Amino acid sequence: MAMSMLERVATAATMGTPDVVPCAPLVCGAAHRFSGQTYEEWSRCEDPEAMVAGGLAAIEYADMCGIVLLVDLTVEAGAFGCETIFPVMDTAHPNYDDPFIKGPGDYAKVKKINPRETGRMKGVLDQIAGYSKAIGETHAIVGFVYGSLGTLSMMRGPEAFFMDLVEHPDEVMGALEIMDDVLAEYAVAQKEAGAHAVCYDNLYASESILSKPLWRKFEGKGMLKVCDAIADSGALVVHHNCGNGIYFDELEKYGHPHAVSHAYVADDVDSWEEHKKKWGSKICTIGWMPPGPVAMLGNEEEIEEEVKAEMEIFKPGGGFIQSTGCEFPPNAPLKHAKMIVDAAKKYGVY
Amino acid sequence: MATAEKEKELIAGLRDAVINYKIADAKKLAEEAIKEGADAYKMTMEGLAGGMETVSEKFDNHEYFVPETLLCAKALYGALDVLKPHIKSDSGSKGQVVLGVMLGDVHDLGKNLIKAIFESAGWTVHDLGRDVPLKSFVEEQLRTDSDIVMLSAMMTTSMVGMKKLIPMIKEKNPNVKIMIGGAPISEKTVDDYGADTTADNAPNALREAMNMLESLRKGMVSA
Repeated sequence: MAMSMLERVATAATMGTPDVVPCAPLVCGAAHRFSGQTYEEWSRCEDPEAMVAGGLAAIEYADMCGIVLLVDLTVEAGAFGCETIFPVMDTAHPNYDDPFIKGPGDYAKVKKINPRETGRMKGVLDQIAGYSKAIGETHAIVGFVYGSLGTLSMMRGPEAFFMDLVEHPDEVMGALEIMDDVLAEYAVAQKEAGAHAVCYDNLYASESILSKPLWRKFEGKGMLKVCDAIADSGALVVHHNCGNGIYFDELEKYGHPHAVSHAYVADDVDSWEEHKKKWGSKICTIGWMPPGPVAMLGNEEEIEEEVKAEMEIFKPGGGFIQSTGCEFPPNAPLKHAKMIVDAAKKYGVY
Repeated sequence: MATAEKEKELIAGLRDAVINYKIADAKKLAEEAIKEGADAYKMTMEGLAGGMETVSEKFDNHEYFVPETLLCAKALYGALDVLKPHIKSDSGSKGQVVLGVMLGDVHDLGKNLIKAIFESAGWTVHDLGRDVPLKSFVEEQLRTDSDIVMLSAMMTTSMVGMKKLIPMIKEKNPNVKIMIGGAPISEKTVDDYGADTTADNAPNALREAMNMLESLRKGMVSA
């Protein structure tokens, strides 16, 4: 008997071998086109029912194994008070011309909030509840939390924030500690609403941005707190990082991941083959089709070739979920998501 | 007029201040250099740019990451603000670039790092900022007669604007070189959109720009 989509994901995420490699391109913002909303309306999360309807239609259209509850990376920052700009056809972003944190003294403005009731965090929880009711028994529902370091950088503006890490560490740390408590509660609320797994985005845990010691100093403890809360709630712990040279050893230590969604290999290996050998036997890989060059700009043949190549390396032994390395481009043709899934069905049978 | 020994000491101090992001020291040394009558261009190129070259190497070798590099750039700009008004206008620029983040995109961290690396290496950078309308790139290239236009995008939604913009720039000036960069950009994007090259970080962008400038100048000589 064939496994359900949910069983496939659960099996692969816990390092097992399902009947077929599960596949879910990270169709998040792109689902707005199925919801009858503009991207702006969708991003505002004011109609979770329409968003769920859109997500379900996208799942059905592409035959995906689940959904990730990423709206955009300003959901948490917005709930903490950061002004957010919602372009009509682009991803929402903070108002960097008038940031919430204008100087080191403003880190003290970060206060505890109730994630169950605040801003778009509540909208995300409502969506999870909607998905749970509709497909909770058959498909994977993966919550999403943007880590405190990333969230705070949006509230300050990344450039000033990165310099503050060196020049004003105590002020930054104080705000992070408050946020980590809130994010842990937010993650638990996602599990309670019906998420099977919760994904923690730790973007700065990679060679692209911070040194390992600096990342550990500012996010290690906080990530552990949130990931402990996810694990204790009974949900699977998933991570996302689309940076280059990801610190898998740190993720293992401070985030005990079942699975990591990633676009590039770990910092201590040089190829996907090496990554599979070193990390692929203990942490499930979700990835890693390049979203721009292949998922968006590729043709059917190129997409199929990419899936085939990724399968050849990562399918053996299980512990692999075929996906894009980062969000499926919100402006990419949705038929490309279906092509990815179709190719995974073709090459992913065990 | 500073003695050769004093100039050497000031250059070493400026290099050290940039490399170790001693922001206050960099400014103080630049002020001292002016007071002593040292050659501002020499201080900039051998002190600040020399220091930034080491920073680039450290970035390449993963000794320095984004925060450290930004702080080095902050030290550099603190000193450059003091030295720049004293640099003789005929000191010459290595090349000129127009730089900006595509329309609809506010991610300017990579663009700012590139600006610092290029300015420290003696290039003139016309920085259009972020969320830049397409026609502004075309107009700025024509106004400044820049050798290279550098376009940055962190999102696929802003990246697609390059496809329209690159022919607009090339139509007005077929010789201009175009470098594109940012998270969604790959060699395939370069080919598909008709750009000349890409680079995955600021030091590599500088190397690519030097190569393009060389080919442009060779082309001018042979023509």
